[in-house]
Amino acid sequence: MEHQRCYIYAPPELAERSPKRQRTSEGNPQKLLRERMQTYREIWSHQEEKIQATLEEADIVTQEKIVKFVSAASQPEHEHSLAIPTGLVVVGPSIASHGPFFERLGRRIKEDTNSANFVLTSGESPNLKTFLKNLIKKATSRVEDDDDDDLRPSTSSKNGPKLLDFDLGHLQEWQNRNRVQNIVVTIQDSEAFDSSLLAEIVDLFYSWLDRLPFVLLFGIATSAESFEERLSGKSLRYLEGQEFDVTQSSETVEKLFSTTVASTDIPLRIGPNLSRRILERQRDHVQNVQDFSDGLKYAYMSHFYANHTSIFLQKGLSFKDVPEDVFDAVRTLPSFRRWIENLLGDRDTQQARKLLESDEFLFTNTVQQVQAGQNILSGLSGACMVLVRLRKSLQMTPHAPISSIWTRAASGDLAGAPLLRETMLLVKKISSDKFLQLLTSMEELDASAFSSSFTVDLDEYRQKLDELVTANDTSAPLRTQHDVRNDSLRTTVVAQKVLLSKHKAALSEHDKAYSELVTRFHDEMENYFVGAITNPNELLFSEILIYDLKSPHTEVFQPKPRFAIERALASPHDYLGCDCCVAGAGEDGQVSFSGTQPPTAILYQMYLESGAIINVSDLWSAFNAILGTQVEDSDTKTMALFQRSLAELRYLGFIKPSKKKTDHIAKTMWKGL
Amino acid sequence: MLPDEILSQLNSEFPCRDTQIRQLAALYSAHLPSPSLLVAHGLTATGKSALIKCYLSDSGLPHAIVNSKECITGRHLLERTMAACLDARDKHGSVGETKTKIDRRPYARTESLNTLVVSLGKLMGEWEGEDGMKGGKFVLVFDGIDAQREAPATLIPALARFGELIPNLSIILITTLPLTHSLHKPGVPHLHFPPYPRTSLLEILNTFPPKIFLSPPDADKFPDYTPDLSAEDDAWLWNRFLGAVWESLSKHTGRDLVSFRNTSMRIWREFVRPVVDGTFGTRDFSRLMVNRRHLFQLEDSVLDRIISRDAEASKTNGEILPATPKIVKKAPGLQHDLPYYTTYLLIAAYLASYNPSRTDITYFMKHTDKRKNRRRTGPTKASATKARKISRHLLTPSPFPLDRLLAVFRSLIDGDVPQVADLLTQISTLCSMRLLVKSGGMGSSDVLGEGGRWRVGFGWEFVRGLGRSVGIEVGEYLVGGVDV
Ligand SMILES: Nc1ncnc2c1ncn2[C@@H]1O[C@H](COP(=O)(O)OP(=O)(O)OP(=O)(O)O)[C@@H](O)[C@H]1O
Ligand SMILES: [Mg+2]
Repeated sequence: MEHQRCYIYAPPELAERSPKRQRTSEGNPQKLLRERMQTYREIWSHQEEKIQATLEEADIVTQEKIVKFVSAASQPEHEHSLAIPTGLVVVGPSIASHGPFFERLGRRIKEDTNSANFVLTSGESPNLKTFLKNLIKKATSRVEDDDDDDLRPSTSSKNGPKLLDFDLGHLQEWQNRNRVQNIVVTIQDSEAFDSSLLAEIVDLFYSWLDRLPFVLLFGIATSAESFEERLSGKSLRYLEGQEFDVTQSSETVEKLFSTTVASTDIPLRIGPNLSRRILERQRDHVQNVQDFSDGLKYAYMSHFYANHTSIFLQKGLSFKDVPEDVFDAVRTLPSFRRWIENLLGDRDTQQARKLLESDEFLFTNTVQQVQAGQNILSGLSGACMVLVRLRKSLQMTPHAPISSIWTRAASGDLAGAPLLRETMLLVKKISSDKFLQLLTSMEELDASAFSSSFTVDLDEYRQKLDELVTANDTSAPLRTQHDVRNDSLRTTVVAQKVLLSKHKAALSEHDKAYSELVTRFHDEMENYFVGAITNPNELLFSEILIYDLKSPHTEVFQPKPRFAIERALASPHDYLGCDCCVAGAGEDGQVSFSGTQPPTAILYQMYLESGAIINVSDLWSAFNAILGTQVEDSDTKTMALFQRSLAELRYLGFIKPSKKKTDHIAKTMWKGL
Repeated sequence: MLPDEILSQLNSEFPCRDTQIRQLAALYSAHLPSPSLLVAHGLTATGKSALIKCYLSDSGLPHAIVNSKECITGRHLLERTMAACLDARDKHGSVGETKTKIDRRPYARTESLNTLVVSLGKLMGEWEGEDGMKGGKFVLVFDGIDAQREAPATLIPALARFGELIPNLSIILITTLPLTHSLHKPGVPHLHFPPYPRTSLLEILNTFPPKIFLSPPDADKFPDYTPDLSAEDDAWLWNRFLGAVWESLSKHTGRDLVSFRNTSMRIWREFVRPVVDGTFGTRDFSRLMVNRRHLFQLEDSVLDRIISRDAEASKTNGEILPATPKIVKKAPGLQHDLPYYTTYLLIAAYLASYNPSRTDITYFMKHTDKRKNRRRTGPTKASATKARKISRHLLTPSPFPLDRLLAVFRSLIDGDVPQVADLLTQISTLCSMRLLVKSGGMGSSDVLGEGGRWRVGFGWEFVRGLGRSVGIEVGEYLVGGVDV
């Protein structure tokens, strides 16, 4: 096969499959797959809309500024300016979100100004020539879409000297035909460009500035200062412009989380474990908005793919659409079983029996309960939002974002948590000016709109508070009896001991009335929280409403390639599952070699035991000692195995030839890094 | 235009270039023969390009200018030269009714210097001057030819001989330094554009003083302040201001015309602000100088920046700067936060770059007490004076293999980090941000390929900031310590 450049590799088909793969039960997993997919699509499309809206909203301010900058660049006062208008767009270190950002920006620039926008990345620009070629290709091919071919002037192309394909003259011709106001050239990942290339680009564009109205936008991951430092003074002289800061992606992720997970109108939620995992990954490894929404999407897909009962999330589901085995599946759900047991505990045997026996009865109940569960979860999310608001307007530290409060609530840790208690205590002590702010901020949130259990009548409080404040004749804000500033300490010396005693300062009439008001507010809020904050894990049909499986998510988003290879080589039994190698792994993880293991694995284990530089001849004798006895033929066969194993290790990057010592190889990888 | 008119106009446009203008006029006129080759040389911003271009277009001589800056390769230069000559020929070639365009087909490709010389010869051979005679004059200018990218070694000597081979062609080469040896041709006339001395610079910039008042003061309030008076004030103050800028800043750095002009323009608005405010009169120069002296002390005024200071000032809502603003130089860093482990990876990379690998055991072995070993090698006073060692963080970073980075990374972090692919993703992200730089080694084309070696692309200040953001004092892990 060596003579072929490429070929299709057909693995030999094995008659028997590994036992792991065998299915235990018959049942058709594909049942209702289409319907579930349909439901998934509906639900996800809503989420996607939300995500898009949030993203657009997140950088709308910056984008508008940039668009304004671009359209201002061609104003007459700029005409004689001696420099290329340049925007330094600090997009942040998540390289992956640069692309979508500039895509959205490009769209806006084209819509809102009469400019052309070309985005170039470092991958397309190894040198000046290729950079220009790509730029020209992007410009001219776009025209062909809306221009007839024969309209293109053929004066220069047919009989005259041709322009070389990296000649900016092409762009000039294009500009003569299209007359755009600005030619915006976006350099998406400016850090990855060679400094010298950037300098050349700037130099060239500057030289053409009298014929081509260039505007440069640089996408920057580090900071504008570091970018300026990379350019020489001469290039800097040719550039003039502004810096634009894009919203930190951690903030955007927070916003995304609150609209897609912790919001109130969501049929399917991801559970606390999964959200924690996704959020942690954002914080620790990648800060990337795209990745967040991918993770969410994958969770939704997994839920609908693997869970029969997810069909109940479909709106307007009718009984005859649901096949029998779905009901069987519902009956196996732990929360359903708990429900039945509770019914039995309440001696409501009739209903329990009916649920177990009648599919139709089960159907109506499930639909009802799913709806109820959704309401409860919405109430929970609403309570989280109210709590975040409260903490914010009380200016409490530490700052607890909605993501962390929601995950705590979803794992059932919020009820009675110190965080909540502390907040409520502060509410009790609130002074009237702050109370006013708090009411305003709660009115903005408009909790009663999305959460039916929020019954606190804010208007009434405001009215009462206004009355009290106007009646208050001192300029100081009203205080409650719990406010420490109303306490005073008194020291008395009794029998040579200092006694400290607290005294309540006498409260004024107004303060008393105010105290009552605040206490009532506090009690009402507390009732609301107690009612709304429940443990979702105990919710009936939480398996349908919440997806919280760690397993496929981690494998898909955080694979461990190096770990997998190292493990496969160090303990091949884990993967092979054969009987012969079990003995190989002795007690306490101590590996003892066994000839039945694959030769590369054996060699690898020897490799692990040796130092940074390995004598090949020693390695060979050790290898031979283990395998040589097994292979009867002769040394040659063992030698072939040895050489192949060595080559494989080298291919995997574990070893490389060493120049330091003859007959030695150098170790390049250590296990567990 | 008549020659005298041209001269006087050029002289007013380009003050202090009298000699050069007269020489150009003598060498290139419509009726007298011109030299086949001229080298115009001078340092940057001495008006070479601008003056020659202006002269040629004013004098009406057929000419073409090829700017080497715009030519990406040597071949590109040839193509552009041919195209420029054809365009010029179309523009000048035929007068009056017979506006026939030249047939460009024979000139479709210019692959080498040979083709160029043949084609040019052909073109010039058919050339008809303004008076309808064959063999009219044509001037071909190569601007900045010494900085041509990917130029073959023979380019300049060959171009220098074009004038000999083609009778009515005159070549002008514009360069920075005189081309004495590289032409391989004796007796080439050179036209030197000397750098402007102080007096000339002031004279040139004085011709167009910028305005003090961007919008004229209220006509009702100051009825006698006529535009004439205002222009007089502008010129008076600008002149004095230029002198001050030269003495305090531009004399020492950026002595060429453009740098001087940029520096002056950069601080002019800030300088006249008290006048615009009405604090000082327009002729209170000495008091203005005292008040605004900080402008002449900061390096900011001479540094070229993309983001202009005006823009930055307007960002702070036009807050009036204190009289002597401190130079707030931001430490190089990141405007956005990095993910947690990425920060650690960068710190680890810095340590791997700056610590010799043999010290890793003392510094990073899990079971040794790190605190004890750190700073152990901090220089004592006596030894420091004896053997002056350069602190490590001032040296260039040395390359390290990837696994060493990962090992240091793991020992820096308390607790376990799973071996997920995200770590490698981060490394490649850092690589594309040039915070980590792949330096040679085998398979260096592949970012994560085996056997490659890496370096860090940032300095001490940066890593110190990073370390503090996650609560690590990087200096404690650096061999030899850092005394800052
Ligand atoms: N004598 C002068 N009077 C007025 N303006 C001048 C004079 N000399 C130079 N300038 C101006 O200075 C600027 C730079 O000049 P120019 O580009 O001709 O310099 P150059 O010698 O070609 O520099 P380089 O070697 O960098 O190409 C131009 O804007 C030009 O108008
Ligand atoms: Mg020039």
